[in-house]
This record gives sequence, C-alpha cells and structure tokens, in this order.
Amino acid sequence: MNEAAVDITGLVKSYPGSESPAVAGIDLRVKAGAFFGLLGPNGAGKTTLISMMCGLLRPDAGSLRMAGMDIAARPNEVKQRIGVVPQDIALYPTLTARENLAYFGGMLGLSGARLRERVNWALETARLAQYAGVRVEVLSGGLKRRLSLVIGFIHEPEILLLDEPTVGIDPHSRLFIYESLRAMNAAGMTIIYTSHYMEEVEGLCREIAIIDQGRIIARGSLDDILAGGAGTGAVEIRSGEALPDGTLERITRLPGVRDVERSGKLLRLASDSPMDALPGVLALLRRDGVKVLSLSHGAANLEEVFLTLTGRGLRE
Amino acid sequence: MANWTNLHKLAASVSKEARQITRDREALLLLFAMPLLFVLIMSLAMRDAFREKGGVVLPIIVVDNDRSTVGSSIVDAFSALPAFKVDTAIEGGATDERSVRADVASGKHKFAVIIPEGTDKNARRRIQRQLRFVKGGTDGAPEIRLLADPAMRFDYRNLASTNLNRALQAIENRLLWEEFAALAGMKMTPERRQAAKEILTGNRPFAEVSAEDAAALGRKEAMPTAVQQSVPSWSLFGVFFLVIPLSVAFTKERQAGCLQRLRSMPTPLWVVMAGKAVSYFIINQIQFALMILMGIYAVPLLGGDRFAFGHAPLAVAMMSVAVSLAAVNYGLAAAAYCKTAEQATTFGGASVLIFGALGGIMVPKFLMPPVMQRLSAVSPMSWGLDGYLNIFVRNGTVRDILPQFAGLVCFAVISAAIAALKLRNIQK
Ligand SMILES: Nc1ncnc2c1ncn2[C@@H]1O[C@H](COP(=O)(O)OP(=O)(O)OP(=O)(O)O)[C@@H](O)[C@H]1O
Ligand SMILES: [Mg+2]
Repeated sequence: MNEAAVDITGLVKSYPGSESPAVAGIDLRVKAGAFFGLLGPNGAGKTTLISMMCGLLRPDAGSLRMAGMDIAARPNEVKQRIGVVPQDIALYPTLTARENLAYFGGMLGLSGARLRERVNWALETARLAQYAGVRVEVLSGGLKRRLSLVIGFIHEPEILLLDEPTVGIDPHSRLFIYESLRAMNAAGMTIIYTSHYMEEVEGLCREIAIIDQGRIIARGSLDDILAGGAGTGAVEIRSGEALPDGTLERITRLPGVRDVERSGKLLRLASDSPMDALPGVLALLRRDGVKVLSLSHGAANLEEVFLTLTGRGLRE
Repeated sequence: MANWTNLHKLAASVSKEARQITRDREALLLLFAMPLLFVLIMSLAMRDAFREKGGVVLPIIVVDNDRSTVGSSIVDAFSALPAFKVDTAIEGGATDERSVRADVASGKHKFAVIIPEGTDKNARRRIQRQLRFVKGGTDGAPEIRLLADPAMRFDYRNLASTNLNRALQAIENRLLWEEFAALAGMKMTPERRQAAKEILTGNRPFAEVSAEDAAALGRKEAMPTAVQQSVPSWSLFGVFFLVIPLSVAFTKERQAGCLQRLRSMPTPLWVVMAGKAVSYFIINQIQFALMILMGIYAVPLLGGDRFAFGHAPLAVAMMSVAVSLAAVNYGLAAAAYCKTAEQATTFGGASVLIFGALGGIMVPKFLMPPVMQRLSAVSPMSWGLDGYLNIFVRNGTVRDILPQFAGLVCFAVISAAIAALKLRNIQK
C-alpha cells in the first residue's frame, strides 16, 4: 500500500474578483489507506482544495492525480472511485431518505438489485432504517448529516473526501460518524478529512496537514507536528499576581534559561532543556512569594501548534 | 455499456424530478390550475367580443319631442334589431335634453336618441324645396342627436350610429315618395300611406354586404371564436410559466449543494439537464392536452363556444413539441443565471409576462399598432401563437407552421447552449 491515493503538485486556484488565491500552491501526497486530516481555519481553502480533488473546480495551475489517474484527463473514472461528503448537507428535502439514497446511488452508477442492496446497507449503517420512508425535510439536522455522510460511500469508493462532516451536530451523532469512518478506513478506504476542530483531527487522523491562507504550513504524523511545536522548549507559568521586576531579573540569570518573556501574570520561558531548568525557576518563585497557578510545557495540542506557526488562533 | 448506464441515470433523474414536482403543491397550482382557469375565464369573458351580434343587448332610449312619424320610424327601426332594446317610457315633453344627457353620461342609459320638435316639418320643407330646385333654407333647423355612454365600446357606438343613419335615410326616402306622389297629383290616402311604409321597410337595398373570412390558408371551417383564441394563447402562457417552478427548483437544488454533489459524481452534465428537460416537457404536454380538453368539453358546458381542434393533428403536435422545447430550455437558461429562488421567481415571472404581453397573449396582435406588431416578433410566445392560430383559426397545416416551428426550435437550442455554458462550472 505505498501507491499514492492523492498526488498533488503546485496546485493553484483563484476565484474571479478576489486578490489572493484561495489555494496558493499546494503539494500533497497521501498514501493509499491513510486517514488523513486537513486542518485549517475558516477560509483557509479547504473546500476549494476538496472541490478540485473531486473535479468540481478546475485548477488554475498544477497537477492533480487521484487514485493514480489524472482527473482532468479522465474525470468520470476518477469520480467513480472517489466519494464526497460535502460541507453542505446537499439532500433533496421533498424526497424520502430512501429516495435520496437511491437517486444518488443511481447517479454513482449503481442499479437494480445491487442498488437496492446498497441502499439498505446505507440505511442500516447510518441507523436510519426507521426513517427510510420519511421526507428529508422533516428529519433533524443530525439525521440529515448522517444521511449525507453515507451517500458519500454508498458506492464503496477507494477514496473518501469529507468536508467538515460534523458541523452542527450533537456529540452522539458525531461519535457515530467517527466510528463509521474508522471502520471504513480499517477496511482499506483512504480518507481525507477536513476540519477546523483540532480535537477530531487529533482523535481520528494518523497524518495531518495544516492549511492556512491556501498553503500547507505543517504536515506529518500527529506526533511529528506536536513535537515540532514543542521543539521550542517553551514553558508557560501563570501566577497569582504580576511578577516583580527583581524576580524576572533573577530568573533570567538561572542556568538553562535562554529567554524570559512576561505579559501580565503570564511568564513564558524559552529553554533548551526545560526539565532541568524548571526546578530552579519554581524554587525561586516560591522564595520570592509568587504563587504559581498553572504550569504548562510543550505544544500539547494542534491549537497551540497553529498558534505557534501563524500567530493566530484556529477559531478566530 | 457507458450509454446504457447514462440511460439508466436519465431514467432515474426523470423519476426523481417527477416525484419532486408532484410533491410541490404550489408548482402544481401554477402549472395546471392557473392556466386552466385562464382558458376558461377568457373563453367565456371574451365570447361576445368575437361574435358578430352575440348576446349583447344595448338599451336605447328614444326621446321624441316631435311626436311625428319620424320618432315612430326610428323606434321601429331599432326594435327590428336584436342588438338593441328600445325604451320609450320617457314621454316626449317630460324629459329635457339635459337630464337625458346626464343619465347617459352616468351610464344609466347606454344610448339616447333625441328628436327635437319640428323635425318632421323641417324635413318635409327641405324635401319640398329640393324638389323645386331651391338651394339652402334649412339652416338653423333643430338636429337629431345620438348620445352614448362614455364607457361604451367604439364598435357598439358605430353600430348605433350606423343604424340610426340608416333609419333616417329610410324616413327621407319615404317623405320623398310622398312628395313625389303629391307632385304627380296622387292623393295620399291612409291606405296608400300604409302601403308605402310596407314597401319601404320590406324593400332591401339593391346590394347588401357584410365581411366574411378570407380563410386564406385552407378550408374555411373554424370560426375565430373566443375559445379558438384563448385555448392556444393561455396554454402557451401556462407552458411558459413553467419557467418559474423549474428555475426555482433548480436554484434551490444548487443552493442546497445538490447540484455540486451531482457534479462530483460520474454523471455527465447532459444527463442532469436532460432529466429536468424531459420531465418538464412531459408536464407541458399534459398541460396542453388538458387545456384542449377544457376547450372542447368544459367551455361549452358553461355557455361558451366549443373548441374546434381542426384537421391537422401533426401540425398541432409539432407546435406543442416546439413550444415546450423553447419554454423548458429557456427555463434552464434562466435557472443557470439566477442565484436565488427569489431571483428566479421575479425574473422568470417578469420575463414570461413580458413575452406574453409582447406576443399577443393579453392583447391580440391585430389590435396593436404597427410598431408593437413588429416588436412582438422578439417574443417566442408570439411565434407560438402565430403557429397555433394558423392551425386553429386559419385552418393551416404542417406547411403553414414550419417557420414558427423552426424559430422555436432554434430558440430552444440557443437557450440550452447558454444554460450548458454557464453550468459547466457550477459554484454557488
Ligand atoms: N465561490 C467563491 N467565490 C469567490 N471567493 C470564494 C468562493 N468560495 C470561496 N471563496 C474564498 O476562497 C477562500 C477559501 O475558501 P474555502 O471555502 O475554500 O475555505 P474553507 O477552508 O473551506 O473555509 P470554511 O472552514 O469556512 O469552510 C476564502 O477566502 C473564500 O472567501
Ligand atoms: Mg469549507
């Protein structure tokens, strides 16, 4: 399984009328069988990238191979092998759940007994069997999401592209979606999952790329990226009151401390070996009567990595 | 193999569209109830406008201040016409011209004839002088007047004045006869007077004509009745009105992201478009058939004329196909360029109304001034109506509708191309 499911080089896309490109030169290779997370804030270019990967948008420049095929040259063959779960729910409200599945299944090339079988499978998988004959317009948002999700893989694609599939649903339905996706991935399906919730990308994906302003700014395994963030050796200490100038001065002179930065009650230390430096710092603070409220070390999550990389929060 | 798959997909698309439409109550009302009602109302309301005398009865009051044979002759003349109902209830001297004029102006009476005192005497004097070759001498004599309700249609006014003038002519003829008889030394006994009156009323002019249909395009059978006009006009309108539900459904589909989802699937664009086109085309054919049936069976039940289908079913079918192709593809093009359902409703509705007004649906083209008639050539509905009228009113056949057929098909092809061009790159 070292054949690439997705192979993208130099991809660029600008929307008419906007100054900066939505996708500004992306290179991305995703191995077959991967569970790949694309993390980025609103407007980062995730949907634009997914749209090009599924043939909905034509790139301005760059090459795009999906399942080993050039999408521009053989769009319908590629589309047959990929499944898409769009950001919008994208269902026909006046049709029933079953009718929606049957229609989209038909458009994905299923027919006859095979179509019926897959529709029933999808209804089971999404736990929607009891709503099969109900018009979609009266289903709750979470049920609609689940229906929209299973349409994406009713035809058993090799690659599944998901664009923020869990927006606006409760934790129960969300958990259900995670489980289905893990099962599909375990069965060999390559999954590309975009999100701006770092928790779900952390929990689901073995490999991650962080995308911002149309560019990939970090990529690798979850551990790689977290370690990358921790590499600075930053330690943050929150105190009960603002640090006196004298204390700050003394900390700077402690062995192992490279740099100290103070903002209000927050103290940020840079150190090449934080574990060796910390005991001295804490002892000094106690002696000077500074009360320590919290202590953190390492980029514990992607939110901080993102902050470190861009200087902005993921959800601002 | 690939073709089979696409046909499967097309069939699935048609059945999906059909389901959606039959579940959309507003669309059904708009597509079926509205045009059917229009056909019915217009066939009945306009019935008399297309008939020569129809069932109209115009009440006319004769105010006779002369109390002579002139008054009675005018009353007799109008009484003989089925289109008029003469009222003489107002006694001569009792009503002055001013109050009669006020009553007519307010619409209380449709017409009034006022015969001033001395009319008979003046007329005789005039004839006597003329027979003696004496010029002039009748100036200042009181004049007979015809007053009309200001809201009265122009053709009815003409009908009243023509008939009044004709009656006056007859009176003059009779007076002339009597004077001739006197000159010839014949004594006018009451018997002779009666005989003269009968001869004159029974005597028809040496030639009398009325306009008849030229029926240039074939056998003259169908009459240009209201139903012959309104069935094709309003079914055209109904057929084109499908632009609204079609483009609304389409924009909603796009706003929901369904269209984008479809485009990410291995289904060619033409299958998506054809799925819509085919289902709406079928709806159009059902609409048209229902309106024809309405004209044949329902309109006569309610007192209108029966719709005559004519003798060119192939021509009718060709027109129906061409009109529907034009409407459906125009709807697809409109849908492709509208971003929201509101836009689609407004733009679709307005453009269909304008096409209809220009095309002679609301106001028949022959009533339009020449500039407007030329302008109406830009409306595909005008081509459609011309084609249908060639069949249903002028009794034409396939040959007579070929230009309109070709025009509508071209319009359809161009619209489809415009829609496809826009939809190739769908975004929201
Ligand atoms: N149809 C469009 N026309 C013009 N600009 C667009 C269009 N779609 C997206 N953009 C712009 O392109 C950029 C990337 O948008 P995109 O939808 O790909 O971001 P995203 O990462 O999916 O964001 P979100 O998390 O909000 O879905 C944004 O700046 C957006 O405003
Ligand atoms: Mg997006």
